[in-house]
Amino acid sequence: MSNDLEDSLRAALRPVDPGEKFTAGVMARIADESRRTMRAPRPHTTALRWTSVALAVSLVIGILVARELQLRRTQRGLEARAELLQALKLTGEKLDIAYRVVNDEEHAEFTKDSGV
Amino acid sequence: MSETPALKTEELLTRALAGDAAAFAMLVRAQQRSVYSLALRMLSDRQKAEDLAQEVFLQLHRNLASVESGEHLQFWLRKVTVNRSIDRLRREPRFEALPLEAADSVACEAQDADPLLLRRLNSLMKQLPAAPRAVVLLRYQEDLDPTQIARILSMSVNTVKSHLKRSLSLLRERLGETARSST
Repeated sequence: MSNDLEDSLRAALRPVDPGEKFTAGVMARIADESRRTMRAPRPHTTALRWTSVALAVSLVIGILVARELQLRRTQRGLEARAELLQALKLTGEKLDIAYRVVNDEEHAEFTKDSGV
Repeated sequence: MSETPALKTEELLTRALAGDAAAFAMLVRAQQRSVYSLALRMLSDRQKAEDLAQEVFLQLHRNLASVESGEHLQFWLRKVTVNRSIDRLRREPRFEALPLEAADSVACEAQDADPLLLRRLNSLMKQLPAAPRAVVLLRYQEDLDPTQIARILSMSVNTVKSHLKRSLSLLRERLGETARSST
């Protein structure tokens, strides 16, 4: 029975041919696919190249600008520090003069009062 | 299974790979029976089977460089056909639920055999789930042994044998039921 069934299955499942048109159909689909592939817009390599160059240049410019701004900030900081130091120095000198004037006046008054 | 001798198949492969459309058409002609029949018995629909079989050959055309020999070509075609069919059955499960009477479109015209029995067997094949159906087809349509079937379906040889045994039992049982109900 098993062999009978297997033989019957082999007979029932004998390969069938799809017909002459099948191969033509496959070849037509291949030709169609090739045509579509050829017609498909290709990426513009020149445009891509220029885009890459533009991006690279923008990046370099960005880095340079950032660096320049940083330098300017540092420079301004140094200048402000120098100005502050100068102002402090001037203030110190003026305070010194004022102290000396006050001190001299007090000394003169003391000398006059004591009759020396 | 192929009508084209192995050496000729390899020559055709080389020529097709070089862009010879006529050589590729000859390869298609040599393999179309196997590919189409597998798809037809998996999907039980002539139009869907023809469409799927054509897609398999389109995929072959795109991947021709990966095919190493005539033997590899047959392995590749069977594997891709069965896997695509199983995928389609999973996506569209209505294919599996065709009524038994719809077997006419799939039955083959084998001579020296009881046409009613063959039609009934083709009809019963549709009751098998996708994987066991593929196993039975590769065994009895393509005449492959369990080891070759296991490689194509990426399953163990024991699983293949188990599917075969259970499918044959089921088919035998259903055939018996038919015989009893007709007497």
